[in-house]
Amino acid sequence: MADPIKLAYFMAVKEGASYLGGLLVTDPSGIPLDFRYTEPITPTRLQSILYGKSLEPHLKEEVIQKTLLKELKAAPDLFILSATELAGGWSGDPRFPALAVQKSQEQPLARPGDAFRAGPRELLLQVAEGAAPLRVIFASSVEAAAQEQAVQKLLEAGYHMDLTEPLERVAAALQSLVVKEG
Amino acid sequence: MLGKVRDAVTDAAETLRRLFSDPPVRGVQAGRFDAQARGGVAPAAAARSGLEPLAAAGAAMPPLVEAARLRELEPFQARLRSEEGWARWGAEATVLRMAPLVPGVADRVAVPPLPARAEVRGRHDPLARPATRRSAEPLPSPASRRVEPALAGGGSRQGLEALLQLAVPVQGEDIQRLPKGLWMRYSLQMVRATGENVRNLEVLGLYHLPRKGVADLRHDARRGRILVRLESEAVKAPRVPFILARRKDDGALLSCYLEEP
Repeated sequence: MADPIKLAYFMAVKEGASYLGGLLVTDPSGIPLDFRYTEPITPTRLQSILYGKSLEPHLKEEVIQKTLLKELKAAPDLFILSATELAGGWSGDPRFPALAVQKSQEQPLARPGDAFRAGPRELLLQVAEGAAPLRVIFASSVEAAAQEQAVQKLLEAGYHMDLTEPLERVAAALQSLVVKEG
Repeated sequence: MLGKVRDAVTDAAETLRRLFSDPPVRGVQAGRFDAQARGGVAPAAAARSGLEPLAAAGAAMPPLVEAARLRELEPFQARLRSEEGWARWGAEATVLRMAPLVPGVADRVAVPPLPARAEVRGRHDPLARPATRRSAEPLPSPASRRVEPALAGGGSRQGLEALLQLAVPVQGEDIQRLPKGLWMRYSLQMVRATGENVRNLEVLGLYHLPRKGVADLRHDARRGRILVRLESEAVKAPRVPFILARRKDDGALLSCYLEEP
């Protein structure tokens, strides 16, 4: 029996002058398997000047993401993050496809499992019957073949869970941690 | 030559004419001549005793009387006198003759060349020109410092406990898609576990939940899912089918774990 799919949900937030991120790994039912978060990282004024506009993308992708992934015992099957982060030029880790999943307002496709490709990196995916299709956006580093494999995993997990919900849990958990540690 | 002489004479004549020409007459507004009368002392006639002799009169003016006396006593002497002035004048007179004008030596004067470049005036020179000096002693080279620009990631923390405080939504499976035999097996297990008549049970959903560690469970009928709150032991617990049903007579919720074939 194959191992169940592991979905990694990543989010990095800025709280004041500090950045922190969280990574939630769930099973195909959305039940958490692991959750890790970084200690707040506060760049110095000199670092802010030296990095300029690249500070935030660098912190999120190169520092926070890699720190969190390094602690994972097993690599996830999919790395899911917000569309905003992805639009900022997220390259992602080549070991697993990085993608964003959004709810859409589009008309449902004919059957669950149907997909409508809206672009080389974007498609509409019908996960649940009668519901609006999900908008799936892949990182630029994800090749077409890897996209097809990721779609199959999304369909499998989407049968048991709401694929967009865990990211809200990560945000809520980070918020509660910030309040507790503040 | 003659032309120059004539011009000179003409200039001299013009100069003399201007000098002795009638002076300019200017009208002067003379005031009215009025004779002013002044009062004077009327001459008074002094009364004298009578005619007096000349000598007496002479005595009144002693110097004159003395001179008259000497003149009276001095005898006349004849002297021969001659006047030589005219002769001397004639002898000493010098006839001046003007030297005739002779042509002078004319030197040719070379015309100085025009300056090649006009001189600019009015230029203000700077007050002082700064003098450059070279410092022989080199500046000490500053010590360089290195600031580590790399952003340290710090460490990651295990936050599963915090995350498990949040409810986890679990979607129900579509029972209609289950194989009929499997569903019959599940129904039988449910009746055995709950002790209820199958006709009195309404199945709400079939879920996959951890066998252990489910602390709380709520049914979200509108979205066909359950919200579960898990404990830490739920993470490693195996996922098994879980059925949720409602008793029709009183609406109570019944649930049980199912054994997978």
